[in-house]
Amino acid sequence: MIEGALWRRWAFSYLPLILFVVVLLFPFYWMIITTFRPDGELYRPWNAPNNMPFWTTKPTLEHIIYLFEETSFARWMFNTMFIAAISTLISLFCGVLAGYALARLNFPWAGSLGTLIFITYLVPQTLLFIPLAEIIRDFRLGDTPWSLILTYPTFLIPFCTWLMMGYFKAIPKELEECARIDGASRWKAMAYIIIPIAVPGILSSGIIAFTLSWNEFIYALVFLSSPDQKTVAVGVTSELIRGDVFFWGSLMAGALLGSVPVAIVYSFFVEHYVSGLTGSVKG
Amino acid sequence: MANTKRRSVIKLAGSAAAVASTGMAGILASGRTPAYAQTKTVHWLRWVDFVPASDQLMTKVLMPEAEKDLGIKIKFETVNGNDLQPRATAAIQSGSGPDLIQAFNNNTYIYANSVVDLTDLAEELGKREGGIYKYCRAFASDGKMFMSMPWAVIGGMIAYRKSWFDEVGVTSFPKTWVEYREAAKKLKAKGHPIGQTLGHTFGDAPTFTYPYLWSWGGKEVEADGKTVALNSKETVESVKFLQGFWKDGCDEGALAWDDTNNNRAFLSQTISATLNGASIYIETLRKPDQYQTEKGTPMNKDILHAPLPAGPAGQFGMHLNQSDMLMKYSKNQDAAKEFLKWIHAEKNYERWFVSQKGFATPPTARWETHKVWDEDPVMAPFKVAAKLGQTPGYAGLPNQKAAEALSKYIITDMYAKAAQGMAPEEAVKWAESELKKIYSA
Amino acid sequence: MAVTALGSTEVVRPSVRRRRLEDERWLALVLLMPTAILLGLFIAYPFFEGVMLSLSSARVGDPGEFVWFKNFVKLWHDSIFWTAVWNTFWYTAVTTVFKLGLGLWLALLLNRHFRGKAIVRAFVLLPFIIPTVLSTFAWKWMFDPTFSVINWSLFKLGLISARINWLGDADLAMTSIMIVNIWRGVPFFAISLLAGLQTISPELNEAAAIDGARPWNRFWYVTWPLLLPVTMVVMLFSVIQTFADFQLVYVMTGGGPANATHLFATYAYQIGIVSGLLSEGAAVSLAMFPFLFVIVVAQLLYIRRVEVR
Repeated sequence: MIEGALWRRWAFSYLPLILFVVVLLFPFYWMIITTFRPDGELYRPWNAPNNMPFWTTKPTLEHIIYLFEETSFARWMFNTMFIAAISTLISLFCGVLAGYALARLNFPWAGSLGTLIFITYLVPQTLLFIPLAEIIRDFRLGDTPWSLILTYPTFLIPFCTWLMMGYFKAIPKELEECARIDGASRWKAMAYIIIPIAVPGILSSGIIAFTLSWNEFIYALVFLSSPDQKTVAVGVTSELIRGDVFFWGSLMAGALLGSVPVAIVYSFFVEHYVSGLTGSVKG
Repeated sequence: MANTKRRSVIKLAGSAAAVASTGMAGILASGRTPAYAQTKTVHWLRWVDFVPASDQLMTKVLMPEAEKDLGIKIKFETVNGNDLQPRATAAIQSGSGPDLIQAFNNNTYIYANSVVDLTDLAEELGKREGGIYKYCRAFASDGKMFMSMPWAVIGGMIAYRKSWFDEVGVTSFPKTWVEYREAAKKLKAKGHPIGQTLGHTFGDAPTFTYPYLWSWGGKEVEADGKTVALNSKETVESVKFLQGFWKDGCDEGALAWDDTNNNRAFLSQTISATLNGASIYIETLRKPDQYQTEKGTPMNKDILHAPLPAGPAGQFGMHLNQSDMLMKYSKNQDAAKEFLKWIHAEKNYERWFVSQKGFATPPTARWETHKVWDEDPVMAPFKVAAKLGQTPGYAGLPNQKAAEALSKYIITDMYAKAAQGMAPEEAVKWAESELKKIYSA
Repeated sequence: MAVTALGSTEVVRPSVRRRRLEDERWLALVLLMPTAILLGLFIAYPFFEGVMLSLSSARVGDPGEFVWFKNFVKLWHDSIFWTAVWNTFWYTAVTTVFKLGLGLWLALLLNRHFRGKAIVRAFVLLPFIIPTVLSTFAWKWMFDPTFSVINWSLFKLGLISARINWLGDADLAMTSIMIVNIWRGVPFFAISLLAGLQTISPELNEAAAIDGARPWNRFWYVTWPLLLPVTMVVMLFSVIQTFADFQLVYVMTGGGPANATHLFATYAYQIGIVSGLLSEGAAVSLAMFPFLFVIVVAQLLYIRRVEVR
């Protein structure tokens, strides 16, 4: 009853699934093709008779070589990863502690504090970046990775806190109470009993936080100025778009290679990610 | 933290907040050795050049030389032209950032409060090199001070395909809009329309719509710079004509093109003419075997440049004007001035100018006769680009109000709305009311 | 009270400190401290500055003076602003509905057992992880009126005879932007909803099946109510992000043609940064806040209600 005939399985599962995968991944295929396509083929109008949008007969590595030789792409990759990793760790640290407090401790205004933290997530970046530039200057962080490492948590912490709140709420109160009867302090109960259980949740909010900081553009554009300090998104757009000339091949190569590290992280963690979210959504 | 002693207090007028700060140099140097901190650093922010060779020349040759000659450190940074403004804004508001920032067109008026007067430098340059063009002067100077140092003009000319114009019997480029429309009609019938953007893009859209408006006799404001004068018979006439021109002769896909789309369309042979900098031609020169005509000949032999046609009120142009602002918050104003003098010295500027191959037109008359213009007749029309220009905000100054109107794409949107089918009178009325909001504030 | 107490915890003896931590209120205070410091410094102060900015007549390099609500009054009469408001709502509503529908569908598909499940799950996430600016450039090229591969495909399939002017036509430009947003958002919805689906024990569905419930009814009466809480949370985050979207529109159209695609954030940018009218730009940004606030509070209340039930 649950699994139908073969044609039904195809019509209702496989076909739609294939369709989803094709549509979602098509732009990536397009990037790959563009990366390896010689410039001459790039400039063929869509209705040209010799247009072969889905294939290239003369693949070339020149765009990738250009990317690595003429720009500091490798350096940008490192910067982006470094910034994303540290700011994610900071946000997780804050988010886990705050989430724990808001979800499992009784204190006045717990509810409104939670809402307040959430509201900070609503403040638009376009409003913040100019006043933030002043703070960055006062702390003398301009043009250092720390200008981003310290500002990215502003949109990561609310997110992590809320996800972790959900996760912590789902863990039965009895666990802690048992530990405390055994003589553990409240602090120990949290650090050694509850937080380890929450690891999947921490992982999944960490992954999302990492992605969000990987994606950020405005702060990175405004706070960094040395070519060697830039992140992938800013570096690629500022060096491979020259006025009205796009270096399409290298641009796409940069986009593609720029998403590879995160893709690898995801492919390792996707199952944890799902189970982590599972925990937090139960709450 | 070696040189955190070098502090200054910036008072934000009107607020009690006084914030201690060091300049970009202080920030930069804070992580390095004290010895290094003694050297002054000049940070120059520019757009990333259309011509990659010019940026290479800057970083590999000119900057190291300047460092040696002047005994300073130079930080040369390039960003996408669209991203100059957020950088400038954040730098001004926080009082720290690049010492020199490149301004486009009348952006100078937007940042006028935050720049150092460069009159002495600019006037000296003008005296030495046969005078600064009126066009470049209007953007850099408000009559009282030079807000920036004129750098160059990126000329906008119509690049067109000679052979295709010949095919429809137009052997010399149309002189007037009426002739141009006739030619465009025939070209479009053959599948080679004109490509012109009316989108939100700083390069190719306003450089078409403003001169077009002027050539019909339309203007944004009266010479007093206050009375909005857009809603005139001439303006309505120009909008009406554009509707027809757009339908008869233009690629209707171009409505939202950005500065890059027309390059691609031209290079892929879908359009016969487009208003652009010389970047299309230069690209075909760079890769002659990749860009070929349908007959298999190199495309660069089939491209010519011409200024925008004339209307009943004359012939105009508007080009991307670049100048460098020395920021008030800079801690190294003297070093920055020295550097500006150095880079504008003829022997240094010339090297950069030559590397541009005519893409950029210098702001002074001296260079009109430079041998670069003789090297390639196709590029020759660009040598007078700066001479023929008229500034936005006409008949008033290209001041902050005009800059605001330009940055809001009001004139461009007026034509875009009409091209999309809005009645000309209504489109003009809309633009007039938007202009009034700006000029009455 | 909190401040003085904090000062004293630092000097008291360890045993007292431990006892303090036993008190839930003190522990909460300590745990919330890092968050409070970071958010206070990097959000509260800039936010306050932003609000002050919107009530002033500041331009770049000119602090201006305090003018109360003049900027907001000006916005009220600004036709482009209202276009942006309408666009933002329309954009958020349409994309959220599609992201939810398609994401749910994809989640249901991914929840089944098939070979290569893990790899498919990882791959469909790709659109979500690539930097938005860069993927948007790829889309921009796919929509290019002259080179559109989408037009090529539709043409070859015989679905169209003339090209579609994706970004040039006012309505189509909005649609194109929505398509990209949906493309980006579906994986996030799918994976999160998949997580939700996995909490639902299969026995429930089996029991319903034995009772003779049709698949659709099983979904509607068993799966959906259980999935509702997570759906609401995911939607909440998505709505916030979509409402404040900037990068996508900025790269695709810059708000054009003829202001047809401006959202709150891009219009704020246009006025504040490009035109240098900082105060008015801040006002546009801030005007987004109450709208967003109402939407979010409504959603939060709904979530509470769903959870209580």
